[in-house]
Amino acid sequence: MRDPVPARPAAPPPGRRSRSRSGRASGRGRLGLYLLVAGTVFVSFFPTVWLFLTSIKSQAQIYAWPVEFWPSPATLENYREIFQVSTELVRYIVNSFVVASGMTFMILAVGGLAAYSLARFDYRGRFAVLTGILAVSMFPPLALLPALFDLFLEIGLLNTYIGLILAHTGLYLPMAVWILSNFYKTIPRELEDAARMDGASFLRIFWSVILPLSRPGLIATGLIVFIMSWNEFPLALVLMTDNAMRTAPVGISLFPGEFSFPWEIISAATILAIVPIMVISAIFQDRIIGGLTAGSSK
Amino acid sequence: MRQANRTAILFLIPALAVITAILLFPVVQTLALSFGRDTTSMLRDYEFAGLANYRRLLDTPRFVTSVLNTLFFTVVTVPVELILGLGLALVLNRRLPAQGLVRMAVLFPWALPTALNALMWRWMFNADYGLFNAALTGTGIVEPINWLGSIPLAMYSMMFVSIWKTSSFIALLLLAGLQAIPHDIYEAAEMDGVTAWSKLRYITLPLLQPAILVAVLLRTMDAMRAFELPFNLTDGGPLTSTETLSLYAYRAIFQYVDFNLGSAAIIVQFVIIMIIAGAYLITLRRDSYA
Repeated sequence: MRDPVPARPAAPPPGRRSRSRSGRASGRGRLGLYLLVAGTVFVSFFPTVWLFLTSIKSQAQIYAWPVEFWPSPATLENYREIFQVSTELVRYIVNSFVVASGMTFMILAVGGLAAYSLARFDYRGRFAVLTGILAVSMFPPLALLPALFDLFLEIGLLNTYIGLILAHTGLYLPMAVWILSNFYKTIPRELEDAARMDGASFLRIFWSVILPLSRPGLIATGLIVFIMSWNEFPLALVLMTDNAMRTAPVGISLFPGEFSFPWEIISAATILAIVPIMVISAIFQDRIIGGLTAGSSK
Repeated sequence: MRQANRTAILFLIPALAVITAILLFPVVQTLALSFGRDTTSMLRDYEFAGLANYRRLLDTPRFVTSVLNTLFFTVVTVPVELILGLGLALVLNRRLPAQGLVRMAVLFPWALPTALNALMWRWMFNADYGLFNAALTGTGIVEPINWLGSIPLAMYSMMFVSIWKTSSFIALLLLAGLQAIPHDIYEAAEMDGVTAWSKLRYITLPLLQPAILVAVLLRTMDAMRAFELPFNLTDGGPLTSTETLSLYAYRAIFQYVDFNLGSAAIIVQFVIIMIIAGAYLITLRRDSYA
């Protein structure tokens, strides 16, 4: 899914310093509020928790009836199986890492330059380019599928890292440019002007003044596009047809079972595939939320 | 100044090149395919076939069903997600304990891959070993329910998963909007003894309207292109009762190897989405000059 809001000027991440404006709720109101929040947290985490519990159960326990809720005893057998027998599942996760990292690097390099250009220079057609970029950021990925498949088949980019990296770069670049250019607008111009007075070249100003200042914006944007590439499904499904090249969401979805879907392996593989995303979003939640929502409303 | 202009355009070129090669060119080619005749290589021997593929689409009941499914899915999920998201945003806007955990919980469903979310739910919906049926039949009153294997329940199950995944994302968007509303307005209202409901009805909602519109348009576009959710949750079934437009187009192309028909279906979707995108652009522009 491609959700982030192409944003207008960056706002601080919501939530952190939200001063309660109706904090004088009665005791009972407070209790209701806490229950509501606890319920939200529970509902949000529950599917993952349940899958994790499944992943540390033995096969016999998973397919027991009536359903056994707690693993007894807990076992890492399913994880061992992935690392020793079904090693293609590890490969899928590595593939996702290569593609998402490569794409993040490309987007920040190419998108950073473009966003800077659009935020800082005044030239004719700038507004049209910005609007155009925002418009193409909403292209549904499926519209690219038949043509990209055909093109990649023709020029040998099917089943290559560089192919999917390029495809994801194209898919998420417009959104990244939009977020970044709004971010650049918030950086004061004076520093650049001072450097320019001292006779520094544009590239030099970009490298030693702009880049350090834009680190927060680049990190937030990088994290968001990394997550999106990691999660992307239709392009990864079609442009990586070779089993060894599949990314984690696709590889796990298409993982063959001998008789039926092997939930013991699938549950463990899914947990492994979402751990990176969980870690990233736990550590950087402020930055990600800030980047996602920056200025989506005034 | 000329120097500056040249640098600006130089900086822009790589991005425009990528966008042209990966986004614009393929969309134009998909459009061409949707008007083309079946040939062995799409790039080399193209033959124009007019509206033939679109006519074939209209004669394909499965396509019509997939459009109706997608519309039904969108029309139900987006409003429900908006209401839940708004409620959640209002709650999150208060001072809460464990802020970090709460925000993590709100971000979490969005951040996980939809494909894998779909698998998690498919496991819980599993008719034989799934958690839901275990909890229900444990009471001894209810027969096991075929959540994903019966019509129309499979569609409702799919909607449920989508609502689970995106309500909290809408809450994040609306929360940003809520926090931009100046506090003095509420303080003035409180001094006048305005009730909580009136504050919501006459202050919060009107001021939040731009954010709500943005959230609705973004979510509508997203719901219109739902692909991996049906792919992994129900495989479009039973029969074609949960087959979305995206899933149908994908199958037309890669399972029935009818690139032209599939491309026509994709262009139908593309046009619908870009109309919504146009509304979104106008909204953004209007707001930024308001």
